[in-house]
Amino acid sequence: MGNTLLLFAWLLSAVSPPTLFVQDTPNDAGKSITIRWQLAPEQSPDLVVLERSCERESTQIVATLGAGDNGYIDENVCDGVRYAYRLGAVFGTDTVWSESSGWVVSKPQWFNWGRVNILIAMILFFALVIYFIEHAKAGRHLFVRRIAGLDAVEEAVGRATEMGKPIVYVPGLGSVADIATIASLNILGEVAKKTAQYDSALLVPNRDPIVYTVAREVVKEAYTRAGRPDAFKPDNIFYVTSEQFAYAAAVDGLMVREKPATNFFLGTFWAESLILAETGATTGAIQIAGTDSVFQLPFFITACDYTLIGEELYAASAYLSREPLLLGSLKGQDMGKLVILLVIVLGSALVLLSALPGLKFFQAVSNFFNVSGINLIGTGLPLG
Amino acid sequence: MRRSIPLAICLIMGIVMMVQFFVPHPISVGFYDLTTKWIRIVSAFALVLGVGSLALYHLDRLQRRRAGWVYSIVTLVALVVTAVIGLVWGVKPGSPLQEVIFKNMLVPLNASMFAILAFYMASAAYRAFRARTKEAALLLIAAFIVMLGMVPVGAAIWGKLPEVAEWILSVPNMAAKRAIVFGVALGAIATSLKVILGIERGWLGGGK
Amino acid sequence: MNIWERLLKIDRKIIFVVMAVLVLFPLLKPLGLGVSSGPRAKAVFDAVDAIPPGKTLLISVDFDPASMPELYPMLVALMRHAFARDVKVLLCGLWITGAGLADKAVTEIPPEYGKEYGKDVVYLGWKAGVDAVILGMGENIKNVFPVDYYGHPLDSLPMMQEVVRLRDIPFMVAISAGTPGFGDWLLYGQSRYGLRVGAGVTAVSAADAYPYLQTGQLTGLLAGMKGAAEYEVLLTRKGYSKAYMPAVAAMDSQSLAHLVILILVVLGNVAFFATRMKRR
Repeated sequence: MGNTLLLFAWLLSAVSPPTLFVQDTPNDAGKSITIRWQLAPEQSPDLVVLERSCERESTQIVATLGAGDNGYIDENVCDGVRYAYRLGAVFGTDTVWSESSGWVVSKPQWFNWGRVNILIAMILFFALVIYFIEHAKAGRHLFVRRIAGLDAVEEAVGRATEMGKPIVYVPGLGSVADIATIASLNILGEVAKKTAQYDSALLVPNRDPIVYTVAREVVKEAYTRAGRPDAFKPDNIFYVTSEQFAYAAAVDGLMVREKPATNFFLGTFWAESLILAETGATTGAIQIAGTDSVFQLPFFITACDYTLIGEELYAASAYLSREPLLLGSLKGQDMGKLVILLVIVLGSALVLLSALPGLKFFQAVSNFFNVSGINLIGTGLPLG
Repeated sequence: MRRSIPLAICLIMGIVMMVQFFVPHPISVGFYDLTTKWIRIVSAFALVLGVGSLALYHLDRLQRRRAGWVYSIVTLVALVVTAVIGLVWGVKPGSPLQEVIFKNMLVPLNASMFAILAFYMASAAYRAFRARTKEAALLLIAAFIVMLGMVPVGAAIWGKLPEVAEWILSVPNMAAKRAIVFGVALGAIATSLKVILGIERGWLGGGK
Repeated sequence: MNIWERLLKIDRKIIFVVMAVLVLFPLLKPLGLGVSSGPRAKAVFDAVDAIPPGKTLLISVDFDPASMPELYPMLVALMRHAFARDVKVLLCGLWITGAGLADKAVTEIPPEYGKEYGKDVVYLGWKAGVDAVILGMGENIKNVFPVDYYGHPLDSLPMMQEVVRLRDIPFMVAISAGTPGFGDWLLYGQSRYGLRVGAGVTAVSAADAYPYLQTGQLTGLLAGMKGAAEYEVLLTRKGYSKAYMPAVAAMDSQSLAHLVILILVVLGNVAFFATRMKRR
């Protein structure tokens, strides 16, 4: 765990010595040493200076800090080299130095113990999802509640066919790295399969070039699977621009010119969401929207006929395809939410209890749930 | 083969990046930096594909004289002119790209599009804020209080109105938002797991 | 069609015209509806006011032209406040689209107070890599920005001789339209280097900032155009600025716009219920 040294000795008369903790910074990529100190309460220097000595270099001052500071992370060190520190308290023109700490060596760690809580949560959640996937593979029926927006997809595509008008599918403004975009592309596959079967035109304007290439392949594959490769028109899936409002203007223009019967807005959206949805509403199209962007949900709810809120977007591919594996993962997701609910109740109780005198144990337990870059538990360094 | 290789890459990289998150060692950090550089390089090449698609789409509209073909000329000319100006005169402060195209064209156009939201909000609110049900009525009352509380007129009507509006935003609104965020986060994790394990293959072009 | 049915189906174009007139009119002829300052804007104001003359205010310009109407007035007001008190201003950005806007502010505002570039104000520019930028600035600003936005080496700028790292900065304001933004400054700048952070955000994302206010991590918040207007009012009251206040002027428009929407909603609902009762 690194070298922890406790240093006593202070030279001012009738003053308790400060404590100096010097340690290889835990849970990091190396080249870093953490120094913490506690001055005696009666000491109030003007400032403190930190001096470093090393077997390879001459002694030098590495930091000049305020009297209120009680820690410093020295990141100008080399791994595997021994360093020692001492603290100087500056009173006017006098500097009173502490004794030198012992040698400390910095090295990188292979595991970030500060994130062990995330690892446990991840394993637990993955276990739940995989359990329910296996459960579904065994043929057990899994109930999924009705999602009105997804039930309306078939009706919406049928409406476009009857009216002889196209369908506009906007896969959002996110990149392919956004999970909402991936969820949207999964739904695009299902919608494209239906448009192939019903022989409706499907227009897919894209903001991201990579999403454009993926969307084209998704639609092409869907048409092939539906037995209608001849009906696939590559020109209907196109890249517009990466500029947010230019894209919104282009899609608005497309909707006003083509007057689609149905609009799908599924993916990541930002401020242009209402511009798209309201323009679509003026053309009389039926609109189904879904996004993980919580700020844009109110706009879609106001202007669209159906809205998939948050995780309903991610549930869509399972809901539409009814594949047991996908349904199983949906169930696992729901169980994960239940676990979070229990943790919220537990966490609130812990925080309440830790505020009571004499129950500091609960403080340590609730600290375990902290998500921080450097977790000092188990390192011997003072917390906070 | 066409599907197996991408699925294998997805599985390996997904697991490696998950492990990377927990390993602070410089080898892990270096690998992360390398991966992000690769992502940026691949994105840049994808931009070439995107621009190619844009050019072909508008050239096709131009050739076939489809409705609105004149605007395709505008698009293509803008594409070429911007690229030439940027390449010839550079992109630093004071260049024509910054002074003419960015400051005098892009900024006002973006601001105008954003300003359209004000009008659309009025028409959307008028159309949609009808108290058809109890829940809709509750939404309406909350919207009233928040809208009035956010402007000086509200404070003039009742001094405490801005505080009530802020309470609505910071307590029930925040609670609902956090609940949605929890669901979205879990959904994102589950979807990521499905993509990594190859259960979800829609992004590959569908099919088994 | 009776009056209630007409009210139920007001043409969009009429709504747009009414909105346009009521938004434009106060900009041409201010109504003076007045803006009172709230505690959150005052907290930012007080924090900037407490910066000793000669020290530096850091402003991170993390927004784009689309959010300029809400956030640019905040940037201008903060710079005016700092210059009026002989506080130096250091600007940087995590958004590339903010570069032109910061440049505009740096060109226009310092001459009003007789301030010189390099001595009283420096604009570092934009750099990619959010956490690396902030953490790097925490150690040494020159490591991240060896030259400023205009290509001047930082060593050649008198102001940068005293401002070496984040600890030399008593207070910063992150004006952000989204992410990256104030959250990153809190995560990397405050938790690591003890940087005091205030925030200026768009109205729609103000709710995201409230938890940080409650925990005391954020020292004050300017929320949307109202926040900018509150700051401008405080500036004028204290005599730091007599310049035109764009956010205050725009608040008249915003007030009228809100009232129009409320009236339309009320009319729509009255017509809805009247029509429903008539059908029964």
